Amino acid sequence: MATKRGGSASSTTYSPWSNQKTRRQKRLDLKDPDWVRADGRLFHQCRPAFFRTGAVSAAAGSAYAELGDTKVIVSVFGPRESKKAMLYSDVGRLNCNVSYTTFATSVREQGSDHKEYSSTLHKALEGAIILESFPKTTVDVFALVLESSGSDLPLVVSCASLALADAGIMMYDLVTAVSLSCHGPNLILDPLVEEESHQDGSLMVTYMPSRVEVTQLTITGEWSVSRIHEAMNLCISACSRLGDVMRSCLKEAAAAAADDT
Amino acid sequence: MVMEEMNQESTAVTPGEILGKASSLRPGRGAYAVAGGDVYASLTGRRSILPPPPDSPDQRPIVEVTGHKAHGVVPEPGSTVIARVKKVMAKMASADIMCVGEKSVREKFTGIIRQQDVRATEIDKVDMHSSFRAGDIVRASVLSLGDARAYYLSTAKNELGVVSAESAAGATMIPISWTEMQCPMSGQIEQRKVAKV
Repeated sequence: MATKRGGSASSTTYSPWSNQKTRRQKRLDLKDPDWVRADGRLFHQCRPAFFRTGAVSAAAGSAYAELGDTKVIVSVFGPRESKKAMLYSDVGRLNCNVSYTTFATSVREQGSDHKEYSSTLHKALEGAIILESFPKTTVDVFALVLESSGSDLPLVVSCASLALADAGIMMYDLVTAVSLSCHGPNLILDPLVEEESHQDGSLMVTYMPSRVEVTQLTITGEWSVSRIHEAMNLCISACSRLGDVMRSCLKEAAAAAADDT
Repeated sequence: MVMEEMNQESTAVTPGEILGKASSLRPGRGAYAVAGGDVYASLTGRRSILPPPPDSPDQRPIVEVTGHKAHGVVPEPGSTVIARVKKVMAKMASADIMCVGEKSVREKFTGIIRQQDVRATEIDKVDMHSSFRAGDIVRASVLSLGDARAYYLSTAKNELGVVSAESAAGATMIPISWTEMQCPMSGQIEQRKVAKV
């Protein structure tokens, strides 16, 4: 994140806001077809992703993921007994919770549950989990965003599906997610926070790469059908690449565990 | 078509990976099949191919994926569990399931043993307080998923019942018959439904 602070450290006061002049300049550039992204990426280039499973030893399964500066940690508990108040169900239940830490964003905020993201995560994952394999019990997924730098929810979804695989919950396939932001004529993959705040519309796809199925699609803004097709193709090919990275992470963890025993 | 007998691969498979065609392989534990299509893995682990049982009509080999980690177990109907009795009432006893089969659970499940499931004979004359006491460790089998609150357990076999119990004096009792256990410290005999070990 580029912050412009003036002069010497001793005489100027600290301000978390970047210089007003540069913000205004950025807004003018966005619709320009020659616009270059803030971190120098191409429009259809995602940030490098890093995944690691087994981050939380107390949980049945867990995973840590980074996408550029965005950092997320997900723990999965279960299958464990449902609360006494719940009615009997012959399929398993999934309970998702996404929360932000107080230090996740550039301005400190009250750490609280993000109900909308929690429900989106639930919708994205429930299609991929074989609920019949754990009747009467509940699987709890807790996602914590440690640093938010754009594309938070897609990373949460991908990390959660890795954590579920680490916990040994039976799934039809891994779930990968990529989001895309629309700025005038440009479609840019994996937007940063600044790019997300100035967007005209967005599209997020959660996709099972081996089954070739989309579990969830979220679109905001105004889109023509041909643009949606173009955007979905971009996202799906990015999801497939992300899926390969996630699989190699799981295989490495499995090989490391096998070496230990 | 590649057929490998009782073979474990060196690389792990991940959920969603294709293991083979449904026409030539049957999905076992950790795998599932799409009708008329492929067999996919549903867990992370090692793939193993087992020969089919000789008397079954379906002679396709079974492919299984065994997880490399001690993944959490859930009580299933028919499995043998170790539970600790929490409360004994007139018609039932409630117990916390601590182990399923060979593995211990991360968080306990609730089970109940009803009066008619304590033993196989004279089931209406069972006295719950002469069969179990709070704190006893019992081996039971899971009858069914039960209701929303608890699994239904049964000790109606010779090898099921109280495995370990503490006497009123505080010592671990020694079983002396099907229905009695004796405290080594005080010599007192207490009634239990004892498991044949």
